[in-house]
Amino acid sequence: MASSPAARVTGRIAVPVLGLFWLAVTTVPFLFMVMTSFKSQQESFSSSVWALPKALDLVNYESVLEGPFLTYFKNSVMVVVISVILIMLISAMAAFAFARMRFRLNDALFGLIVAGMIVPIHITLVPIYLLTRQLGLYDSQFALIGPYVATSLPISVFILTEFMRQIPKELEEAARLDGCGPFAIFFKVFLPLSGPGLSTIAIYNGIMLWNEFIFAYVLTSSTSTRTLPLAIWDYQGQYTSNIPAILAVVTLTSLPLVVAYAFGQEKIVKGMMAGSLKG
Amino acid sequence: MTKITLSGVNKSFGANFPVIRNVDLTIEEGEFCVFLGPSGCGKSTLLRMVAGLESGYSGQISIGDRVVDKVEPADRQVAMVFQNYALYPHMTVYDNMAFGLRQAKTPKDEIDRRVQEAARILQIEALLERMPKALSGGQRQRVAIGRAIVRQPKVFLFDEPLSNLDAALRVHMRSEIATLHRNFPAASMIYVTHDQTEAMALADKIVLLHAGKDMLKHGSIAQVGKPLDLYHRPRNLFVAGFLGSPTMNFLEATFVAQEPAGARVVLKSGEELVVPVDGSALAAGAPVTLGVRPEHLAPVVGPAPQTLTRKVAAVEHFGEYSFVYLEGGTPAPLIAKVPGDGGVKASDSATYSAPADCCHLFDADGIALTHLTNT
Ligand SMILES: Nc1ncnc2c1ncn2[C@@H]1O[C@H](COP(=O)(O)OP(=O)(O)OP(=O)(O)O)[C@@H](O)[C@H]1O
Ligand SMILES: [Mg+2]
Repeated sequence: MASSPAARVTGRIAVPVLGLFWLAVTTVPFLFMVMTSFKSQQESFSSSVWALPKALDLVNYESVLEGPFLTYFKNSVMVVVISVILIMLISAMAAFAFARMRFRLNDALFGLIVAGMIVPIHITLVPIYLLTRQLGLYDSQFALIGPYVATSLPISVFILTEFMRQIPKELEEAARLDGCGPFAIFFKVFLPLSGPGLSTIAIYNGIMLWNEFIFAYVLTSSTSTRTLPLAIWDYQGQYTSNIPAILAVVTLTSLPLVVAYAFGQEKIVKGMMAGSLKG
Repeated sequence: MTKITLSGVNKSFGANFPVIRNVDLTIEEGEFCVFLGPSGCGKSTLLRMVAGLESGYSGQISIGDRVVDKVEPADRQVAMVFQNYALYPHMTVYDNMAFGLRQAKTPKDEIDRRVQEAARILQIEALLERMPKALSGGQRQRVAIGRAIVRQPKVFLFDEPLSNLDAALRVHMRSEIATLHRNFPAASMIYVTHDQTEAMALADKIVLLHAGKDMLKHGSIAQVGKPLDLYHRPRNLFVAGFLGSPTMNFLEATFVAQEPAGARVVLKSGEELVVPVDGSALAAGAPVTLGVRPEHLAPVVGPAPQTLTRKVAAVEHFGEYSFVYLEGGTPAPLIAKVPGDGGVKASDSATYSAPADCCHLFDADGIALTHLTNT
């Protein structure tokens, strides 16, 4: 597309300016959080909000880690890992069926599952709470896995179905000629080839569930079963006005995601883009 | 015995979109059979039906003595090479070739023996540990063929295997496929292409398929036969026009009378020719079409029988031969393919003889009249 010189100059200025603006919007709170978490409570009140901490004071971290933080952390890891594995497996199987199998209700069922994306989770809270109680799962980490998997499936099935539709039909046919039934085609051809799609949904859902608050709040109640987002909330009550300590908790909570991004940046970006690229 | 038989085969996509109609066909053991036809005529569909990848057709397909309509693709003892190769991108070349055997629980050392042997035949031993994306098009094609070979099939199925290669490589791989056929004399081959050169070069038997209206009217099969039979004795206008390049010249003519030597016809230009075919079913004055291939029009000097004299519209020189475009063809120009530079130039008047043996006559329905000396 040919663009006029004026438009090009505007673009050359506007893009970096907007980029910098967005960088500031996303980074400044983050920097504020990390910086403040190293300040003493005293310092956080007396010094300017934007002043660097006087020393790398780890006292907030020490006090946080002395408490039940690690229990929360462990719960979060367990719930998220199990949920994400289940989401990948179930949505991959569903996507394979929707993308590659011909049956009468294919389109209707696909539409129904994808329509799940528009259901706000809040209206499901009460039924799920009652159901969890009846199942005797209330206040257990495992209570979270069911709702987590269920609410993540629509978008995951949607992404993976689109992904698998792009896998050439001939590969499936070659596998059939090589003696594969539907399960072998799924596990030996489609699943390995869906790597980028699977990492997309793993990352997407991993982040969502790591930060999930409302189900965790409603379905768990004791320290031993709660996850990190609730920890932050708990600490808010516990430390009341100790903002640096709260921010230390927040920093520790976001650390796994930051580390994951630092190491897997290339893969994450690729995974996010994979859906839009063919081949 | 791995004779392949298709009888009364019909296939539609959806209720009223027929693709294959009334196919009756036998492919002998060890035969190299080429499905040829214009794009969209259903060549791939027919091949995939033999492979077992298309369901929902009527009629019957047998491989050997077994009716295979309900047999899984893997159990038909067929191997298929796809146009886009369809190599598993996440497996090495070795694993690509071994995959089918592993699925069939073949012993490990047997798998290794077969893969190594196929690699040796196809000269891809050095590539066995590579991933498909690190291969050139020609190498991928070899791997795809290797994947077929290791299964030791009774029938090889190829769907336009060379169409993604460049021209030089295509000729080379074509001869390799011919060699492959000689190396596996017991295996039948079905080879789909829309390239008549490939078909002529490789086939023991060509199955030329109709598309569109012709298919609806006459069924899918236009003609089955040896390549030269189709070339010399086309059964109808479609076959005559499809094979040969440039295509056969067609001239509107009128039937005059049946003589002992053949049917006498008169062209629009007033020239009369005798074509050695049986026109006894025609009435005098019936419209017919005369067909003669460009390469059969020979330049003549002086008076001669069976000639066409026309003004030259243009000449194209290719060194070894030339195309002389003559005025007055209907509707396409009349072309003569002559050796060397043709010895004529635009707006000359030139005379070409149309040897009786090389003339074809088609009735108003486009069906070829039978040659008197049908060999
Ligand atoms: N799955 C399908 N659903 C509907 N129509 C189809 C399907 N597959 C093929 N067709 C149609 O059937 C006809 C024959 O297709 P086929 O692929 O067999 O043609 P072909 O002779 O192999 O052509 P080409 O030389 O272009 O490969 C085409 O008109 C095509 O549009
Ligand atoms: Mg085709």
